[in-house]
Amino acid sequence: MFTVKDYRDALAEGYLLASKCRRCGAVQLPPRPICPRCGSGDLESLKAPKRGRVAAYTVIHVPPSRFKGEEPYAVAIVELLEGIRVSGRMLDVSEADLKVGLEVEADVIKLGEEPLLCFRPLKRP
Amino acid sequence: MGLQRGVAIIGAGMTRFHHKIHADKTGRDLFVEAALEAMTSVDNGIELRDIEALFIGNFSSDSFEHQGHVAALMADWLGLTPKAATRIEAACGSSGAALNIGVMAIASGLYDVVMVGGVEKMRTLTTEEVTDVLAMASDEVYEAAVGFTFPGLYAAMATAHFHRYGSTWEQLCAVSIKNHHNGSLNPKAQFQEEVIDIARRLGERRGMTFKDEMEFLRSPLNPVVAYPLRLFDCCPISDGAAVVIMASEEVARKFTDTPIYVRGIGQASDTMALHDREDLTTIRATRLAAQQAYRMAGIGPEDIDVADVHDCFTIAEVVATEDLGFFPKGEGGKAAEEGRTSLEGDKPINPDGGLKAKGHPVGATGAAMACEIFKQLRGEAGKRQVRDAEVGLIHNVGASGATVVVQIYGR
Ligand SMILES: [Zn+2]
Repeated sequence: MFTVKDYRDALAEGYLLASKCRRCGAVQLPPRPICPRCGSGDLESLKAPKRGRVAAYTVIHVPPSRFKGEEPYAVAIVELLEGIRVSGRMLDVSEADLKVGLEVEADVIKLGEEPLLCFRPLKRP
Repeated sequence: MGLQRGVAIIGAGMTRFHHKIHADKTGRDLFVEAALEAMTSVDNGIELRDIEALFIGNFSSDSFEHQGHVAALMADWLGLTPKAATRIEAACGSSGAALNIGVMAIASGLYDVVMVGGVEKMRTLTTEEVTDVLAMASDEVYEAAVGFTFPGLYAAMATAHFHRYGSTWEQLCAVSIKNHHNGSLNPKAQFQEEVIDIARRLGERRGMTFKDEMEFLRSPLNPVVAYPLRLFDCCPISDGAAVVIMASEEVARKFTDTPIYVRGIGQASDTMALHDREDLTTIRATRLAAQQAYRMAGIGPEDIDVADVHDCFTIAEVVATEDLGFFPKGEGGKAAEEGRTSLEGDKPINPDGGLKAKGHPVGATGAAMACEIFKQLRGEAGKRQVRDAEVGLIHNVGASGATVVVQIYGR
Protein backbone atom coordinates (compact mmCIF):
# COMPACT_ATOMS: atom_id res chain seq x y z
CA MET A 1 0.00 0.00 0.00
CA PHE A 2 1.44 3.35 -1.05
CA THR A 3 1.88 6.02 1.60
CA VAL A 4 2.78 9.70 1.45
CA LYS A 5 6.29 8.73 2.57
CA ASP A 6 6.78 6.64 -0.57
CA TYR A 7 6.09 9.70 -2.74
CA ARG A 8 8.31 11.95 -0.64
CA ASP A 9 11.15 9.42 -0.65
CA ALA A 10 10.91 9.14 -4.43
CA LEU A 11 10.86 12.92 -4.74
CA ALA A 12 14.01 13.12 -2.61
CA GLU A 13 15.60 10.73 -5.11
CA GLY A 14 14.52 12.98 -7.95
CA TYR A 15 11.60 11.16 -9.54
CA LEU A 16 7.79 11.30 -9.46
CA LEU A 17 6.19 8.17 -8.05
CA ALA A 18 2.78 7.24 -9.45
CA SER A 19 0.58 4.18 -8.97
CA LYS A 20 -1.00 2.10 -11.71
CA CYS A 21 -4.02 -0.11 -11.13
CA ARG A 22 -3.34 -3.74 -12.14
CA ARG A 23 -7.07 -4.28 -12.66
CA CYS A 24 -8.20 -1.28 -14.73
CA GLY A 25 -4.94 0.44 -15.69
CA ALA A 26 -5.79 3.83 -14.17
CA VAL A 27 -2.72 5.89 -13.22
CA GLN A 28 -2.63 8.07 -10.11
CA LEU A 29 -0.06 10.71 -9.27
CA PRO A 30 0.77 10.91 -6.39
CA PRO A 31 0.24 7.19 -5.75
CA ARG A 32 -2.84 6.11 -3.81
CA PRO A 33 -3.66 3.09 -1.66
CA ILE A 34 -6.92 2.42 -3.54
CA CYS A 35 -7.73 2.92 -7.22
CA PRO A 36 -10.38 5.68 -7.31
CA ARG A 37 -11.68 4.42 -10.67
CA CYS A 38 -12.40 0.76 -9.85
CA GLY A 39 -11.77 0.40 -6.11
CA SER A 40 -8.98 -2.16 -6.48
CA GLY A 41 -6.14 -2.25 -3.96
CA ASP A 42 -3.89 -4.11 -6.38
CA LEU A 43 -1.57 -1.36 -7.56
CA GLU A 44 1.94 -1.24 -8.94
CA SER A 45 4.42 1.61 -8.91
CA LEU A 46 5.18 3.67 -11.97
CA LYS A 47 7.64 6.46 -12.62
CA ALA A 48 5.67 9.40 -14.02
CA PRO A 49 7.15 11.28 -16.96
CA LYS A 50 8.91 14.51 -16.07
CA ARG A 51 7.76 16.53 -19.03
CA GLY A 52 4.34 18.07 -19.28
CA ARG A 53 2.30 21.18 -19.95
CA VAL A 54 0.97 23.88 -17.65
CA ALA A 55 -2.79 23.36 -17.21
CA ALA A 56 -3.33 26.22 -14.74
CA TYR A 57 -1.12 28.58 -12.77
CA THR A 58 -0.93 31.50 -10.41
CA VAL A 59 1.65 33.90 -9.05
CA ILE A 60 1.41 34.17 -5.28
CA HIS A 61 1.88 37.71 -3.97
CA VAL A 62 0.45 37.09 -0.48
CA PRO A 63 2.29 34.01 0.78
CA PRO A 64 1.67 31.74 3.72
CA SER A 65 4.11 32.24 6.59
CA ARG A 66 6.33 29.30 5.62
CA PHE A 67 7.13 30.93 2.26
CA LYS A 68 7.32 34.49 3.51
CA GLY A 69 9.95 36.50 1.69
CA GLU A 70 9.81 34.31 -1.43
CA GLU A 71 6.89 36.25 -2.94
CA PRO A 72 6.09 36.75 -5.70
CA TYR A 73 6.46 33.10 -6.67
CA ALA A 74 4.63 31.02 -9.28
CA VAL A 75 2.79 27.76 -8.73
CA ALA A 76 1.42 25.61 -11.53
CA ILE A 77 -0.78 22.60 -12.08
CA VAL A 78 1.04 20.56 -14.71
CA GLU A 79 -0.43 17.82 -16.87
CA LEU A 80 2.16 15.04 -17.29
CA LEU A 81 -0.05 12.43 -18.94
CA GLU A 82 -3.60 12.73 -20.28
CA GLY A 83 -5.61 13.72 -17.18
CA ILE A 84 -2.70 13.12 -14.79
CA ARG A 85 -1.77 16.38 -13.11
CA VAL A 86 0.29 17.51 -10.18
CA SER A 87 1.01 20.82 -8.44
CA GLY A 88 4.52 22.24 -8.28
CA ARG A 89 6.53 25.41 -7.98
CA MET A 90 7.41 27.17 -11.25
CA LEU A 91 11.01 28.32 -11.54
CA ASP A 92 13.00 30.29 -14.12
CA VAL A 93 9.99 31.79 -15.84
CA SER A 94 8.85 35.38 -16.15
CA GLU A 95 5.26 36.33 -15.45
CA ALA A 96 4.87 37.24 -19.13
CA ASP A 97 6.03 33.81 -20.34
CA LEU A 98 3.96 31.79 -17.90
CA LYS A 99 0.93 30.54 -19.83
CA VAL A 100 -1.47 27.63 -20.00
CA GLY A 101 0.09 25.15 -22.42
CA LEU A 102 3.70 26.07 -21.61
CA GLU A 103 5.95 22.99 -21.91
CA VAL A 104 7.80 22.30 -18.68
CA GLU A 105 10.08 19.74 -17.10
CA ALA A 106 10.02 18.59 -13.48
CA ASP A 107 12.92 18.96 -11.08
CA VAL A 108 13.30 18.57 -7.34
CA ILE A 109 15.00 21.15 -5.19
CA LYS A 110 15.62 21.19 -1.47
CA LEU A 111 13.69 23.64 0.64
CA GLY A 112 15.36 23.29 4.02
CA GLU A 113 15.18 19.55 4.68
CA GLU A 114 12.11 18.97 2.48
CA PRO A 115 12.22 18.07 -1.22
CA LEU A 116 10.10 20.49 -3.26
CA LEU A 117 8.63 19.56 -6.64
CA CYS A 118 9.25 22.29 -9.17
CA PHE A 119 8.98 22.83 -12.92
CA ARG A 120 11.07 24.80 -15.38
CA PRO A 121 10.20 25.80 -18.95
CA LEU A 122 11.43 23.18 -21.40
CA LYS A 123 12.63 25.69 -23.96
CA ARG A 124 14.25 28.74 -22.50
CA PRO A 125 12.68 31.79 -24.08
CA MET B 1 -35.34 9.82 -3.06
CA GLY B 2 -36.82 12.60 -0.95
CA LEU B 3 -37.51 13.81 2.53
CA GLN B 4 -39.70 11.58 4.73
CA ARG B 5 -41.55 14.68 5.85
CA GLY B 6 -41.48 18.39 5.14
CA VAL B 7 -39.01 20.76 6.81
CA ALA B 8 -39.16 24.57 6.99
CA ILE B 9 -37.18 27.48 8.34
CA ILE B 10 -39.28 29.43 10.86
CA GLY B 11 -36.73 32.00 12.02
CA ALA B 12 -33.32 33.41 11.06
CA GLY B 13 -30.80 35.81 12.52
CA MET B 14 -27.21 36.89 12.12
CA THR B 15 -24.66 39.29 13.49
CA ARG B 16 -23.27 41.89 11.17
CA PHE B 17 -20.22 40.35 9.51
CA HIS B 18 -17.19 42.52 10.12
CA HIS B 19 -13.41 42.68 10.43
CA LYS B 20 -13.27 45.28 13.24
CA ILE B 21 -16.44 45.88 15.22
CA HIS B 22 -16.39 42.47 16.91
CA ALA B 23 -12.83 42.87 18.21
CA ASP B 24 -13.95 42.60 21.83
CA LYS B 25 -16.23 39.60 21.25
CA THR B 26 -15.47 35.89 21.18
CA GLY B 27 -17.09 33.27 18.98
CA ARG B 28 -19.55 32.41 21.72
CA ASP B 29 -20.68 36.03 22.05
CA LEU B 30 -21.29 36.20 18.32
CA PHE B 31 -23.17 32.91 18.19
CA VAL B 32 -25.46 33.85 21.08
CA GLU B 33 -26.20 37.21 19.42
CA ALA B 34 -27.21 35.51 16.16
CA ALA B 35 -29.22 32.81 17.97
CA LEU B 36 -31.20 35.35 19.98
CA GLU B 37 -32.00 37.32 16.82
CA ALA B 38 -33.19 34.10 15.16
CA MET B 39 -35.40 33.27 18.18
CA THR B 40 -36.86 36.79 18.20
CA SER B 41 -37.61 36.59 14.47
CA VAL B 42 -40.07 33.71 14.96
CA ASP B 43 -43.44 35.39 14.33
CA ASN B 44 -45.50 33.70 17.04
CA GLY B 45 -42.63 33.37 19.50
CA ILE B 46 -40.48 30.41 20.49
CA GLU B 47 -38.90 29.30 23.75
CA LEU B 48 -35.46 27.80 24.21
CA ARG B 49 -37.12 24.64 25.54
CA ASP B 50 -38.75 24.19 22.10
CA ILE B 51 -35.29 23.64 20.53
CA GLU B 52 -34.46 19.93 20.60
CA ALA B 53 -30.97 19.88 19.09
CA LEU B 54 -28.21 22.18 17.89
CA PHE B 55 -26.06 21.68 14.77
CA ILE B 56 -23.25 24.13 14.31
CA GLY B 57 -20.83 24.71 11.47
CA ASN B 58 -17.38 25.89 12.44
CA PHE B 59 -14.12 25.49 10.55
CA SER B 60 -11.34 26.24 12.95
CA SER B 61 -12.14 27.79 16.33
CA ASP B 62 -9.25 25.56 17.46
CA SER B 63 -6.74 27.62 15.44
CA PHE B 64 -8.51 30.99 15.62
CA GLU B 65 -9.54 31.02 19.28
CA HIS B 66 -7.76 28.08 20.87
CA GLN B 67 -11.20 26.67 21.53
CA GLY B 68 -12.42 23.24 20.47
CA HIS B 69 -15.69 21.44 21.23
CA VAL B 70 -17.68 24.53 20.30
CA ALA B 71 -21.09 22.88 19.83
CA ALA B 72 -21.33 21.98 23.51
CA LEU B 73 -19.95 25.40 24.38
CA MET B 74 -22.67 27.19 22.39
CA ALA B 75 -25.39 24.93 23.83
CA ASP B 76 -24.07 25.75 27.29
CA TRP B 77 -23.95 29.50 26.65
CA LEU B 78 -27.44 29.53 25.15
CA GLY B 79 -28.87 27.61 28.07
CA LEU B 80 -29.72 24.75 25.72
CA THR B 81 -28.10 21.94 27.71
CA PRO B 82 -28.81 19.00 27.97
CA LYS B 83 -29.99 19.06 24.32
CA ALA B 84 -27.78 17.32 21.76
CA ALA B 85 -25.18 19.66 20.24
CA THR B 86 -22.92 18.68 17.33
CA ARG B 87 -20.22 20.53 15.42
CA ILE B 88 -19.87 19.93 11.67
CA GLU B 89 -16.65 20.83 9.86
CA ALA B 90 -16.36 21.11 6.08
CA ALA B 91 -14.07 24.14 5.76
CA CYS B 92 -16.03 27.10 4.31
CA GLY B 93 -18.95 24.74 3.71
CA SER B 94 -19.31 23.86 7.39
CA SER B 95 -22.68 25.43 8.11
CA GLY B 96 -24.05 24.41 4.71
CA ALA B 97 -23.31 20.83 5.71
CA ALA B 98 -24.88 21.57 9.12
CA LEU B 99 -28.05 22.81 7.36
CA ASN B 100 -28.33 19.53 5.48
CA ILE B 101 -27.90 17.56 8.70
CA GLY B 102 -30.56 19.72 10.39
CA VAL B 103 -32.96 18.94 7.53
CA MET B 104 -32.19 15.21 7.78
CA ALA B 105 -32.61 15.24 11.58
CA ILE B 106 -36.13 16.65 11.26
CA ALA B 107 -37.11 14.68 8.15
CA SER B 108 -36.11 11.47 9.93
CA GLY B 109 -38.74 12.14 12.57
CA LEU B 110 -36.23 12.34 15.39
CA TYR B 111 -36.77 16.04 16.15
CA ASP B 112 -39.47 18.63 15.42
CA VAL B 113 -37.45 21.79 16.04
CA VAL B 114 -33.70 22.26 15.71
CA MET B 115 -31.31 25.19 15.65
CA VAL B 116 -28.68 25.25 12.88
CA GLY B 117 -25.99 27.85 12.73
CA GLY B 118 -22.41 28.70 12.07
CA VAL B 119 -19.76 30.86 13.63
CA GLU B 120 -16.19 31.94 12.95
CA LYS B 121 -14.10 34.42 14.84
CA MET B 122 -11.11 34.96 12.53
CA ARG B 123 -9.74 38.38 13.33
CA THR B 124 -7.86 37.07 16.34
CA LEU B 125 -5.02 36.31 13.91
CA THR B 126 -3.00 38.37 11.44
CA THR B 127 -3.77 38.12 7.71
CA GLU B 128 -0.71 35.92 7.26
CA GLU B 129 -1.80 33.57 10.04
CA VAL B 130 -5.35 33.42 8.63
CA THR B 131 -3.83 32.54 5.22
CA ASP B 132 -2.06 29.63 6.93
CA VAL B 133 -5.23 28.40 8.64
CA LEU B 134 -7.31 28.61 5.45
CA ALA B 135 -4.63 26.73 3.52
CA MET B 136 -5.27 23.82 5.90
CA ALA B 137 -8.51 23.27 3.98
CA SER B 138 -6.47 22.30 0.90
CA ASP B 139 -4.27 19.22 0.55
CA GLU B 140 -1.38 19.97 2.90
CA VAL B 141 1.04 17.46 1.40
CA TYR B 142 0.44 17.96 -2.32
CA GLU B 143 -0.86 21.55 -2.62
CA ALA B 144 0.01 23.74 0.36
CA ALA B 145 3.53 22.30 0.59
CA VAL B 146 4.45 23.48 -2.92
CA GLY B 147 3.17 26.98 -2.18
CA PHE B 148 -0.51 27.05 -3.06
CA THR B 149 -2.67 29.32 -0.95
CA PHE B 150 -6.45 29.35 -0.88
CA PRO B 151 -6.66 32.40 -3.22
CA GLY B 152 -3.97 30.71 -5.32
CA LEU B 153 -6.16 27.67 -6.02
CA TYR B 154 -9.05 29.82 -7.28
CA ALA B 155 -6.56 31.93 -9.23
CA ALA B 156 -5.40 28.73 -10.97
CA MET B 157 -9.02 27.89 -11.80
CA ALA B 158 -9.34 31.39 -13.26
CA THR B 159 -6.35 30.93 -15.59
CA ALA B 160 -7.78 27.62 -16.82
CA HIS B 161 -11.22 29.22 -17.30
CA PHE B 162 -9.75 32.23 -19.13
CA HIS B 163 -7.76 29.91 -21.38
CA ARG B 164 -10.63 27.55 -22.20
CA TYR B 165 -13.49 30.03 -22.59
CA GLY B 166 -11.85 33.39 -23.24
CA SER B 167 -13.40 34.83 -20.09
CA THR B 168 -11.60 37.87 -18.70
CA TRP B 169 -10.50 39.55 -15.50
CA GLU B 170 -12.73 42.51 -16.47
CA GLN B 171 -15.71 40.15 -16.24
CA LEU B 172 -14.59 39.19 -12.73
CA CYS B 173 -14.56 42.88 -11.84
CA ALA B 174 -18.24 43.06 -12.80
CA VAL B 175 -18.94 40.46 -10.10
CA SER B 176 -17.06 42.50 -7.50
CA ILE B 177 -18.75 45.79 -8.45
CA LYS B 178 -22.20 44.15 -8.38
CA ASN B 179 -21.63 42.48 -5.01
CA HIS B 180 -20.35 45.71 -3.47
CA HIS B 181 -23.48 47.46 -4.76
CA ASN B 182 -25.69 44.81 -3.14
CA GLY B 183 -23.65 45.01 0.06
CA SER B 184 -24.29 48.76 0.17
CA LEU B 185 -27.99 47.90 0.58
CA ASN B 186 -27.45 45.32 3.35
CA PRO B 187 -27.13 46.59 6.95
CA LYS B 188 -25.50 43.26 7.95
CA ALA B 189 -22.75 43.47 5.31
CA GLN B 190 -19.11 44.04 6.20
CA PHE B 191 -18.65 46.45 3.27
CA GLN B 192 -21.61 48.73 2.63
CA GLU B 193 -19.87 50.84 0.05
CA GLU B 194 -19.90 50.88 -3.76
CA VAL B 195 -16.53 50.24 -5.41
CA ILE B 196 -16.62 53.72 -6.96
CA ASP B 197 -17.08 55.29 -3.51
CA ILE B 198 -14.18 53.24 -2.12
CA ALA B 199 -12.11 54.42 -5.11
CA ARG B 200 -12.92 58.07 -4.32
CA ARG B 201 -12.24 57.66 -0.60
CA LEU B 202 -8.91 55.83 -1.01
CA GLY B 203 -7.94 58.03 -3.96
CA GLU B 204 -8.43 61.25 -2.00
CA ARG B 205 -6.12 59.98 0.71
CA ARG B 206 -3.39 59.33 -1.87
CA GLY B 207 -4.08 62.33 -4.08
CA MET B 208 -5.29 60.09 -6.91
CA THR B 209 -8.46 60.40 -8.97
CA PHE B 210 -10.13 57.61 -10.92
CA LYS B 211 -12.53 58.20 -13.79
CA ASP B 212 -14.35 54.96 -13.13
CA GLU B 213 -14.24 51.70 -11.16
CA MET B 214 -12.05 49.93 -13.70
CA GLU B 215 -9.31 52.54 -13.53
CA PHE B 216 -9.27 52.07 -9.75
CA LEU B 217 -9.34 48.27 -9.98
CA ARG B 218 -6.35 48.34 -12.36
CA SER B 219 -4.41 50.64 -10.04
CA PRO B 220 -1.87 49.73 -7.34
CA LEU B 221 -4.63 50.42 -4.80
CA ASN B 222 -6.00 47.03 -5.86
CA PRO B 223 -2.88 44.88 -5.43
CA VAL B 224 -2.45 41.37 -6.80
CA VAL B 225 -3.07 38.67 -4.18
CA ALA B 226 -2.62 35.65 -6.44
CA TYR B 227 -2.41 36.44 -10.15
CA PRO B 228 -4.87 37.02 -11.82
CA LEU B 229 -6.86 37.72 -8.66
CA ARG B 230 -6.47 41.07 -6.95
CA LEU B 231 -7.71 42.30 -3.59
CA PHE B 232 -11.18 43.17 -4.95
CA ASP B 233 -11.51 39.64 -6.34
CA CYS B 234 -11.18 38.19 -2.83
CA CYS B 235 -13.62 37.97 0.04
CA PRO B 236 -12.43 39.62 3.24
CA ILE B 237 -11.51 38.06 6.58
CA SER B 238 -14.52 38.38 8.86
CA ASP B 239 -15.97 37.69 12.28
CA GLY B 240 -19.60 36.67 12.53
CA ALA B 241 -22.33 34.15 13.20
CA ALA B 242 -25.64 33.18 11.60
CA VAL B 243 -28.46 30.98 12.84
CA VAL B 244 -31.71 29.54 11.48
CA ILE B 245 -34.42 27.63 13.30
CA MET B 246 -35.90 24.70 11.44
CA ALA B 247 -39.15 22.89 12.17
CA SER B 248 -41.13 19.98 10.80
CA GLU B 249 -43.98 20.81 8.46
CA GLU B 250 -46.41 19.63 11.16
CA VAL B 251 -45.33 22.16 13.77
CA ALA B 252 -43.95 24.99 11.57
CA ARG B 253 -47.32 26.76 11.22
CA LYS B 254 -47.68 26.93 14.99
CA PHE B 255 -44.66 29.26 14.98
CA THR B 256 -45.32 31.33 11.85
CA ASP B 257 -47.82 31.84 9.05
CA THR B 258 -44.93 32.20 6.60
CA PRO B 259 -42.53 29.25 6.98
CA ILE B 260 -39.99 28.87 4.20
CA TYR B 261 -39.96 25.26 3.08
CA VAL B 262 -36.96 23.17 2.12
CA ARG B 263 -37.74 21.94 -1.41
CA GLY B 264 -34.55 20.07 -2.14
CA ILE B 265 -31.10 19.39 -0.73
CA GLY B 266 -27.90 18.03 -2.24
CA GLN B 267 -24.32 17.45 -1.22
CA ALA B 268 -21.26 16.05 -2.96
CA SER B 269 -17.53 15.70 -2.45
CA ASP B 270 -14.61 15.68 -4.86
CA THR B 271 -10.87 15.16 -4.78
CA MET B 272 -9.16 17.23 -2.11
CA ALA B 273 -6.46 18.47 -4.49
CA LEU B 274 -7.55 20.75 -7.32
CA HIS B 275 -5.05 19.14 -9.70
CA ASP B 276 -6.85 15.79 -9.41
CA ARG B 277 -10.17 17.17 -10.66
CA GLU B 278 -11.57 15.94 -13.94
CA ASP B 279 -11.89 19.53 -15.20
CA LEU B 280 -10.18 22.59 -13.69
CA THR B 281 -12.82 25.00 -15.03
CA THR B 282 -15.76 23.46 -13.22
CA ILE B 283 -16.60 22.35 -9.69
CA ARG B 284 -18.06 18.90 -10.24
CA ALA B 285 -19.40 18.68 -6.68
CA THR B 286 -21.54 21.77 -7.42
CA ARG B 287 -23.03 20.12 -10.50
CA LEU B 288 -23.78 16.91 -8.60
CA ALA B 289 -25.18 18.59 -5.47
CA ALA B 290 -27.35 20.82 -7.67
CA GLN B 291 -28.66 17.85 -9.66
CA GLN B 292 -29.74 16.16 -6.41
CA ALA B 293 -31.44 19.31 -5.11
CA TYR B 294 -33.19 20.10 -8.41
CA ARG B 295 -34.43 16.51 -8.71
CA MET B 296 -35.78 16.49 -5.15
CA ALA B 297 -37.50 19.85 -5.71
CA GLY B 298 -38.81 18.74 -9.10
CA ILE B 299 -37.59 21.94 -10.72
CA GLY B 300 -34.67 23.18 -12.80
CA PRO B 301 -32.26 26.13 -12.74
CA GLU B 302 -34.70 28.22 -14.79
CA ASP B 303 -37.15 28.13 -11.84
CA ILE B 304 -34.76 29.78 -9.35
CA ASP B 305 -35.76 33.40 -8.66
CA VAL B 306 -32.82 34.31 -6.42
CA ALA B 307 -29.61 32.55 -5.38
CA ASP B 308 -26.86 33.02 -2.81
CA VAL B 309 -23.76 31.37 -4.27
CA HIS B 310 -20.29 30.87 -2.83
CA ASP B 311 -18.23 33.78 -4.19
CA CYS B 312 -15.17 33.42 -1.95
CA PHE B 313 -13.42 34.77 -5.05
CA THR B 314 -15.02 36.50 -8.05
CA ILE B 315 -14.10 33.58 -10.33
CA ALA B 316 -15.97 31.28 -7.92
CA GLU B 317 -19.24 33.14 -8.58
CA VAL B 318 -18.71 32.89 -12.33
CA VAL B 319 -17.99 29.15 -12.16
CA ALA B 320 -20.90 28.57 -9.73
CA THR B 321 -23.48 30.30 -11.91
CA GLU B 322 -22.40 28.02 -14.76
CA ASP B 323 -22.24 24.80 -12.73
CA LEU B 324 -25.65 25.50 -11.14
CA GLY B 325 -27.06 25.67 -14.67
CA PHE B 326 -28.00 29.36 -14.66
CA PHE B 327 -25.81 30.07 -17.68
CA PRO B 328 -24.11 27.85 -20.28
CA LYS B 329 -20.56 26.74 -19.42
CA GLY B 330 -18.11 29.52 -20.17
CA GLU B 331 -20.75 32.28 -20.22
CA GLY B 332 -20.94 33.12 -16.49
CA GLY B 333 -18.50 36.02 -16.83
CA LYS B 334 -20.36 37.45 -19.79
CA ALA B 335 -23.67 37.18 -17.89
CA ALA B 336 -22.19 39.12 -14.96
CA GLU B 337 -20.82 41.77 -17.32
CA GLU B 338 -24.25 42.15 -18.96
CA GLY B 339 -25.91 42.76 -15.58
CA ARG B 340 -27.97 39.58 -15.69
CA THR B 341 -26.95 38.70 -12.11
CA SER B 342 -27.77 42.13 -10.63
CA LEU B 343 -30.82 42.74 -8.43
CA GLU B 344 -32.79 43.81 -11.51
CA GLY B 345 -31.34 41.10 -13.79
CA ASP B 346 -33.07 37.92 -14.90
CA LYS B 347 -31.01 35.81 -12.43
CA PRO B 348 -30.19 37.87 -9.32
CA ILE B 349 -27.14 36.43 -7.56
CA ASN B 350 -25.97 37.31 -4.05
CA PRO B 351 -28.46 40.10 -3.28
CA ASP B 352 -26.89 40.37 0.20
CA GLY B 353 -23.48 41.29 -1.25
CA GLY B 354 -22.15 37.74 -1.31
CA LEU B 355 -19.02 36.67 0.50
CA LYS B 356 -17.22 39.53 -1.26
CA ALA B 357 -19.11 42.39 0.39
CA LYS B 358 -21.22 40.77 3.10
CA GLY B 359 -18.09 39.07 4.48
CA HIS B 360 -17.00 35.47 4.98
CA PRO B 361 -16.60 34.23 8.55
CA VAL B 362 -16.06 30.84 6.97
CA GLY B 363 -18.06 28.54 9.25
CA ALA B 364 -21.02 30.96 9.33
CA THR B 365 -21.40 31.46 5.60
CA GLY B 366 -23.84 28.66 4.68
CA ALA B 367 -26.17 29.60 7.53
CA ALA B 368 -25.99 33.27 6.51
CA MET B 369 -27.04 32.26 2.97
CA ALA B 370 -30.09 30.49 4.44
CA CYS B 371 -30.87 33.66 6.46
CA GLU B 372 -30.80 35.73 3.27
CA ILE B 373 -33.01 33.39 1.24
CA PHE B 374 -35.44 33.18 4.21
CA LYS B 375 -35.73 36.98 4.16
CA GLN B 376 -35.91 37.21 0.36
CA LEU B 377 -38.71 34.64 0.07
CA ARG B 378 -40.69 36.34 2.84
CA GLY B 379 -40.30 39.74 1.16
CA GLU B 380 -38.35 41.07 4.14
CA ALA B 381 -35.06 41.94 2.43
CA GLY B 382 -35.58 45.70 2.41
CA LYS B 383 -33.68 47.71 -0.21
CA ARG B 384 -32.08 44.59 -1.67
CA GLN B 385 -35.39 42.73 -2.12
CA VAL B 386 -35.61 40.72 -5.35
CA ARG B 387 -39.08 41.29 -6.79
CA ASP B 388 -41.54 38.37 -6.60
CA ALA B 389 -38.93 35.94 -5.26
CA GLU B 390 -40.69 32.65 -4.57
CA VAL B 391 -37.97 30.03 -5.06
CA GLY B 392 -34.42 30.50 -3.78
CA LEU B 393 -31.19 28.50 -3.85
CA ILE B 394 -28.11 28.45 -1.66
CA HIS B 395 -24.72 27.09 -2.72
CA ASN B 396 -22.00 26.66 -0.10
CA VAL B 397 -18.52 25.37 -0.96
CA GLY B 398 -15.78 23.88 1.21
CA ALA B 399 -12.34 25.16 0.17
CA SER B 400 -11.61 24.66 -3.55
CA GLY B 401 -14.69 22.46 -4.11
CA ALA B 402 -14.04 19.19 -2.27
CA THR B 403 -17.36 19.75 -0.44
CA VAL B 404 -20.45 21.41 -1.91
CA VAL B 405 -23.92 21.81 -0.43
CA VAL B 406 -26.91 23.06 -2.41
CA GLN B 407 -30.34 23.72 -0.94
CA ILE B 408 -33.53 24.96 -2.57
CA TYR B 409 -36.22 26.78 -0.61
CA GLY B 410 -39.74 27.84 -1.52
CA ARG B 411 -42.66 29.65 0.06
ZN1 LIG C 1 -8.57 0.46 -11.06
